[in-house]
Amino acid sequence: MKIYDGSESGDSEETTPERIKVGIAEYEVTADGATLTTSGLGSCVGVALYDEHSGAAGLVHVMLPVADEVDDGKPAKFADTGTELLIEELESIGANKRGIEAKIAGGSDMLDFSEGGSGIGDRNVEQVKETLSDHNISLAGEDVGGDHGRSVRLQATTGDLVVKSANRQDRTL
Amino acid sequence: MKIDVQSLDTFNQLAHEGAQEATRSMTQMTGIEATVEVTRISLVDRKDIGEELGNDAEFVGVQFGFDGALTGETVLIFEREQSAAIVEALVPGGMADESMAQSSVKEIGNIMMSGFIDGWAEHLGTSIEHTPPSYIERQGKDVLPEGPETDEHDQVFVFRSEIQWEGEDVSFYIYMLPEYTPLTELMAEHGSSGTDAIPIKKLAAFNQMNREGTRRAAENVEMMSGIETEAEVSQISFAPIEDVPKRFGKETHVGTAVEFTGAPSGFLLVLFDEQSAITVAEGLMPVDMDSDELTDQHKAAIEELGNIMTSGFVDGWANVLQRSVEHTPPRLVHDMGQAIIDPLAAQLGQHQRHAFMIDSTMKTEELEFESKIHALPNEQELRKALDDLDVDRADQTEADADRLF
Repeated sequence: MKIYDGSESGDSEETTPERIKVGIAEYEVTADGATLTTSGLGSCVGVALYDEHSGAAGLVHVMLPVADEVDDGKPAKFADTGTELLIEELESIGANKRGIEAKIAGGSDMLDFSEGGSGIGDRNVEQVKETLSDHNISLAGEDVGGDHGRSVRLQATTGDLVVKSANRQDRTL
Repeated sequence: MKIDVQSLDTFNQLAHEGAQEATRSMTQMTGIEATVEVTRISLVDRKDIGEELGNDAEFVGVQFGFDGALTGETVLIFEREQSAAIVEALVPGGMADESMAQSSVKEIGNIMMSGFIDGWAEHLGTSIEHTPPSYIERQGKDVLPEGPETDEHDQVFVFRSEIQWEGEDVSFYIYMLPEYTPLTELMAEHGSSGTDAIPIKKLAAFNQMNREGTRRAAENVEMMSGIETEAEVSQISFAPIEDVPKRFGKETHVGTAVEFTGAPSGFLLVLFDEQSAITVAEGLMPVDMDSDELTDQHKAAIEELGNIMTSGFVDGWANVLQRSVEHTPPRLVHDMGQAIIDPLAAQLGQHQRHAFMIDSTMKTEELEFESKIHALPNEQELRKALDDLDVDRADQTEADADRLF
């Protein structure tokens, strides 16, 4: 199935399980309705992309705002390169960029000790939004900021992004 | 002999790729889709090896000896109750027959570990021989090999990978315990011996420094509560920064976080699982509480406890370093473990790709609870602090007033 794959990852989409876990600084895409999950988002941001027409969906778990600052050859670690990479990967499995919608969650400012200016969570969210906007991808939903952690589940059959928090009710974007 | 951060990274990567190779072998054989979750190098006291496995869980697996450029022992293990799923995937119906179950475990272990060892040898451009696998079944940390003789060293390096079976509650662990000297020689060879090198003796001294911090934290708890408190395990791990939060999982934790400044700067976390937090708050604090749920009163007690443990730990460092180390007031956290550590790792991650992490555990005889202290120092400043550290001082537990003032 993963015939368009470049050299970016060694993922094994050909035996896609029902549920695919996405770790920090990692991404996954699916063209056959798998559920993509990522957990423990603090200041990190989960970016979910979904193209209704092709059914392609993808999720990336980014940690830091800009790759330039600490470039280390891990594009999925950063809000800018991670979001771009996910867009490309989604297109490579059949998505049309114009049909892609984004939903994002995370970017909390819990335990941010930085003095003055905005914290990493805020900057992650801002950078994701900027990159999405550069690619003319609309933001269909967001659950960001605050001072609590989140886990998300992207249902690729519907594009629903379910957001779970430790002390709050689930939310579906 | 010095080890630089680059060679620690190289060896961490090696262990990770070895574990991936082992996992691919298993997938080919069983069709089980699994991923390598975390790999880390730790510098651990010999007696504390495998502390995280506890004493009770039953493990089965295989053990190998290896010899060549690296010498030592390695094991692949999983919990006995999870072995059924693996055996059934290999030989349907295999669990009905004990010897069949054992030979299945041995076979899968053999395939995986050959991949693991060969991966190392290939990357190092050298040869590493290994013995045939032997089947092992033991409880808790006893499942691990004794660990190499440490000679004059107190600590050994342990490589540990966790492999998770997707969609199932099954984890495999690979532990590799190489002998100290050949390993550090190889590390020194593969390093750039640049400015970021850490003399290996000082890394061990740094571990002692953390033990001193942990001891003081326990002392403070004892002073406050009157309950004898035991501080256990202090280890330094090294991993890519994005792997740091992965170790914490989804379970909800309660505790405190501070930023400390000085040399080095960084973050310090004191964490309890929810049940431990309730037990500790009710058992150690002079406040009347009785609830199955975590209340604001419990949280206030945890905040206070976190505060004194933090002060103790930081004082321990300051004492050994003979410098003052300041810290912010503690912030109370109550959230998913991974989400708590994530912002701290990200803040460090703005300036560094890898992190040293210090872990200590605290227990009492009288109360069933566990508390963990995690320190995440700024890597560059840590190197500088180690550079400045008079190694002999790390053994001293009392500050020498003449030298201080």
